Amino acid sequence: MSKRVASQIDIQTMKADAENDIWAQFRQIERIAVTLTQSYRHSLGKYSRFFIELERQRFMATGCPTCGRVYAPPRPVCPDCLSVADWVELSGRGELKTYSILHFSPGTNEDVRSLAPPYVLAYVLLDGADTLFPHLLKAPPQQVHIGMRVKVAWQSQAVDHPIHLMYFAPMNKEDK
Amino acid sequence: MSDLPAVVAVGTTAISSDHRSGNLRDLMLEAVLDCLTDAGLDNLADVEHGLCSYESDHFNLQMTLGAVLQDAIGMLPKPNVRIEGGGATGALALRTAWAYLQSGLCDSILVYGCEKNGRGVSSRTANQLFALSADVDWEMMVGGTYTGFYAAMIRAHMERFGTQEEHFAHVAVRNRHNAQFNPIAQKPMNIALKDVMQSRPVAEPYKLYDCSLLSDGAACILLAREEWAKKHSPSFRQRPPVYFAATGCGTDTMRLGDRYPEITNFRAKQTAAQQAYVMANITEPLRQIDVAELYDSYSGVEIQAVEDLGFTAPGQGGPAIADGMFDLDGDLPVNTSGGLLGRGAPVGATGILQAIEVAQQLWGAADTRRQVADARRGLTDTHAGIASISVVNIFERRD
Repeated sequence: MSKRVASQIDIQTMKADAENDIWAQFRQIERIAVTLTQSYRHSLGKYSRFFIELERQRFMATGCPTCGRVYAPPRPVCPDCLSVADWVELSGRGELKTYSILHFSPGTNEDVRSLAPPYVLAYVLLDGADTLFPHLLKAPPQQVHIGMRVKVAWQSQAVDHPIHLMYFAPMNKEDK
Repeated sequence: MSDLPAVVAVGTTAISSDHRSGNLRDLMLEAVLDCLTDAGLDNLADVEHGLCSYESDHFNLQMTLGAVLQDAIGMLPKPNVRIEGGGATGALALRTAWAYLQSGLCDSILVYGCEKNGRGVSSRTANQLFALSADVDWEMMVGGTYTGFYAAMIRAHMERFGTQEEHFAHVAVRNRHNAQFNPIAQKPMNIALKDVMQSRPVAEPYKLYDCSLLSDGAACILLAREEWAKKHSPSFRQRPPVYFAATGCGTDTMRLGDRYPEITNFRAKQTAAQQAYVMANITEPLRQIDVAELYDSYSGVEIQAVEDLGFTAPGQGGPAIADGMFDLDGDLPVNTSGGLLGRGAPVGATGILQAIEVAQQLWGAADTRRQVADARRGLTDTHAGIASISVVNIFERRD
C-alpha cells in the first residue's frame, strides 16, 4: 500500500495469458477507490397529488374519461386514448395478484434500508382499478398467497420517501 | 451475392467477473484487435463507420464513452453513434447498424460494445444502479429490484400454467453446462438440479443459481455490404457467407403491473419476433431455426422466451425445457454459448456476444462439443428491463 496515494487499493502484476504477449510492458495494474455522492432535487411532477393525498390517508388513482380504465399507479394521460385523466379515490382494498419474497434489500432510500429481509414485494389489484400497484406487503412470508385480500395501511412514523406513507397489509375479519 | 448485410468478422475479450487487467478502453481495444485478426485486416483504415454500444455511465464511470472508445480504438475522424437500449443495447446496436448499411449511409460498420458490471462496484451499488433502470418513482423507491420483478412474473406464470421450479432449474444447469465448451465463458459449471434447488433464495422463487452474472467484457462485430466484405476481408472469402437477415423490435410498459392481466409473458418479445419472422419468411420457428441465443437473465425467463418466440405453445415452455427440447442434443439447441447464466453478461456487449455465438455456429466454427450440426439459420433474443424493449435478430448462412 502506498503511503502517498490515499485512494490506492493495490498494485498487481497480471500474468501473461499467451506466449506471444503483446502486452508484456503493460502488466502492472494499479487500482484506486473512487467515490461519488449524488443528491437530486427530484420533481414528482403530475404524480404529485397521489403522494400529497397519502399524507391525508387517501389513496388516489386516475381514470380515463374516454375508455373508463382506472390506473393505479396513476397516469396523467391514458396511454390508450391520450385523454387527460381524472383523479379518483379508491377504497384501498384489493387482491394480491403476484409477489416475490426478497432476501436482500437494495438500500434504495432510508425507508428501504430499514427493512429487515425477507420482505414481500406485492402486486395488488385495488378494487376499482385495472392495473397492479407494486408495494411492500407487511405480512409473514409463509402466510402470503396469490388471491389473498389486502388493504392499504398507513405508516404512523415519519418517512423518507412519501411512497412509504403507505404499505399493504393483510385484510382481517373486522375489515370486511 | 446478397443484398443483406454480411457478417465479416467478430472479436471478444474473455468474459469475467473482474477484469482487473484492463479498464474499458483496454477491453474494447482487445476485442477490436481480435476482430481485425478474425477479418484478416491489419487496421481499420477501410472501415467507414463506428457504432458504440454501452448502457451505463454509472457503472462505467464515464459519460460519452462512445467518444472515448472511438478514440481508443483508432477510428477517428470517422462517424460514430452511441446506442443505448438497456439490456437490449447490443442487439439494438446491431439493428441500427443493419439500417445504416441498408440505407446506403455506409458500406462497412464496426459495432463495438462493452460494459464493466463486475466487481468494480459492490453488489449493493450494482443493485442500486440496475434499479435506476426500473421506474424510479414507483418501483425502485418501494424497495423493488429486478430479481424481484422477474420473480413476480415467473410466480404468475407458475400460478397460471403450473410451471415448476424444477423446470427453470433445468435452464440454470444446462446453460452453465454449455459454458464449459466456450473458452470465453465466465462461469462454466457442472452442477445438478438439486444444486440449483438448494441454492440460497435471492428473490423467491428465484435462487442464487437461477440468477445471471455481473460481468466485465467487450465484443465487436464488423458488418458490411457484401461487395465491401469480398474486397477487403480475406476471411470473408474463405468462410461460408453469413448474413444479418432480419430484425424485429417491440416495446412494452415499464412497470409490470401496468400489463395486467398479461403479466406472465413478454408482449414486446412476441412483437419483435413476429416482425423478424415476417422479414425472414419464417412461419414455423421451431422447425426453421437451427440455433438460438435467448436472454436468460434469470432461468425462468428462458421458459417465457421459448413461448413468446413461438417455439412452444403458451404455458408449455417449462415442460418442453425440462424434457430437453432445447439442450445441445435437442430439437432446437439454445444458449450454446452458456447464455447470460454461464457465459456472462457485460450489458453493452451482451447482444453482440449472442450474435457472435450464432455467427460461429453458422460458420461451423464453434467448439465441436457445442457445435450444432448443419446450422443454417440462428436467432438472438435480447431485452431490456422486464422486456420494456425487446429485439430479435436473425442470421443466415447462404452458400
